[in-house]
Amino acid sequence: MAEETATGASLQIILNELEIQRKKVSDIKTKAYLFLAGGVILIAIGVLLGSLMIAGAISGGASIITSIVLFSNSSQKFNDYRHEFKQRVVATVLKSIDPSLEIEYKYGLLESDFINSQLFTQRPDRYRSQDQIYGNAGKTRFSFSEVHAEYKTETQTKNGRQEHWHTILKGIVFCADFNKHFNGLTVVKPKDMGSALGAWISDKMPIFSSSSKQLVKLENIEFNKAFVTYSTDQVEARYILTPAMMERLCELNDKSAATISVSFIGSYVYIAFPLEKDYFEPPVFKSLLTTKSLDEDLSIVRFMYAIISELDLNTRIWGKE
Amino acid sequence: MIIAAIIIAVLLIFGIGIYNSLIGKKNQVANAFSAIDAMLKKRFDLLPNLIETVKQYMQYEGDLLTKVVELRAKAASPNLSNEERLDLDKQLGSSVKGLMVNVENYPDLKANQNFLNLQSTWTESEEQIAAARRAYNSSVTDYNNAIMMFPGSIFAGMMNYQPIAVLANTEEERKNISAKDLFNN
Repeated sequence: MAEETATGASLQIILNELEIQRKKVSDIKTKAYLFLAGGVILIAIGVLLGSLMIAGAISGGASIITSIVLFSNSSQKFNDYRHEFKQRVVATVLKSIDPSLEIEYKYGLLESDFINSQLFTQRPDRYRSQDQIYGNAGKTRFSFSEVHAEYKTETQTKNGRQEHWHTILKGIVFCADFNKHFNGLTVVKPKDMGSALGAWISDKMPIFSSSSKQLVKLENIEFNKAFVTYSTDQVEARYILTPAMMERLCELNDKSAATISVSFIGSYVYIAFPLEKDYFEPPVFKSLLTTKSLDEDLSIVRFMYAIISELDLNTRIWGKE
Repeated sequence: MIIAAIIIAVLLIFGIGIYNSLIGKKNQVANAFSAIDAMLKKRFDLLPNLIETVKQYMQYEGDLLTKVVELRAKAASPNLSNEERLDLDKQLGSSVKGLMVNVENYPDLKANQNFLNLQSTWTESEEQIAAARRAYNSSVTDYNNAIMMFPGSIFAGMMNYQPIAVLANTEEERKNISAKDLFNN
């Protein structure tokens, strides 16, 4: 309790310091927007009045150049502020949940790890990941990172080729050391039209499914409504997805807005949570000192941290420490 | 004429498809049982070691130990039917469970690293057998559905394929927290 109060007090000091930095960034940004708007208005007036065109262009141009300088200045200051926010505020908040938790905000889940997790069959053409948070919950090591993976399609139009970007995942990928040994791959995917059709084909016409993974028909009806499961080994899939584990995954899925994807590979469990929001980003135009500013970040960390106990990964009685 | 030939060809391909899929499903059932068998063997292999380790410490559990030794001897005999093997496994499961529960009374045994390893391997094998049984039941259900539903039922009648009974869930599988109970914590 005393420790918590101490953390709360030191967090308050950090927030007070950063609030000053935030105000500076917000002031410069506001000025930059004002100059930009002023410049556009001056040019517009010059064009409308005709006779004042040159005067309007010169003053408007000067105003826009000032705004560009201010923007670049603010972006430098914002980066410093963002760095401080993640290094100090987020890090302190993490320690209040568990002392082992740390953040590496410049790094995320490696693209190769994302592909190897086999959560998604589509390979990304553009991949970004940051804000890796890692640590231990009891005996289990885990990490999670913000990920934005997209793939590209091209269509031929009259004006040449046009690129379209489609999101594979925008959200968080959670990874933890699983509590049982296994050798193969088991993937649990959300059940949508495409995956349901794929499952039907691989069940009824196995000749047409080229994949080494087989459809796994599990007993839990709720689980089957939400997910389609594939595995390289029917028995191993059931060794991992025990009736209790299926229920736990359903509960976890109920708490998440969009259906999760889960994969078990190389002794790890990976879970992808599609999310709209960018987490762990500091506010610019809103005060840091309101109680709500950190609530969402805190709740997502708590949510991820709780997965270990929800999936019961600390029960290590199956010969794996 | 051509149309009739096409219809016959399509029917033939369709028929071969159903015939093959029924055979595939029946083989799948046999294959799934061999997975249970492999897991059972793995489990029976643990017994000599477990008995040796436990014997040194548990002087007062003579009856339980004797029962486990007897069951182990039965399990080693080669002429066992599938049902007998499963039944033996069930009896073994409950006897060993009885032993593990009593471990509480033997602090020395509880501290023995070799025993702890055996204990977790035993629990691991328990979960693996449960998984193999579920995989078996799933392929039996698949097979039963195929031979009982139209048009598979026609072929199944001709091929004399009979429905197979699924394995009843053991108490452990229903609860699925048996491993924790075993450890008594």
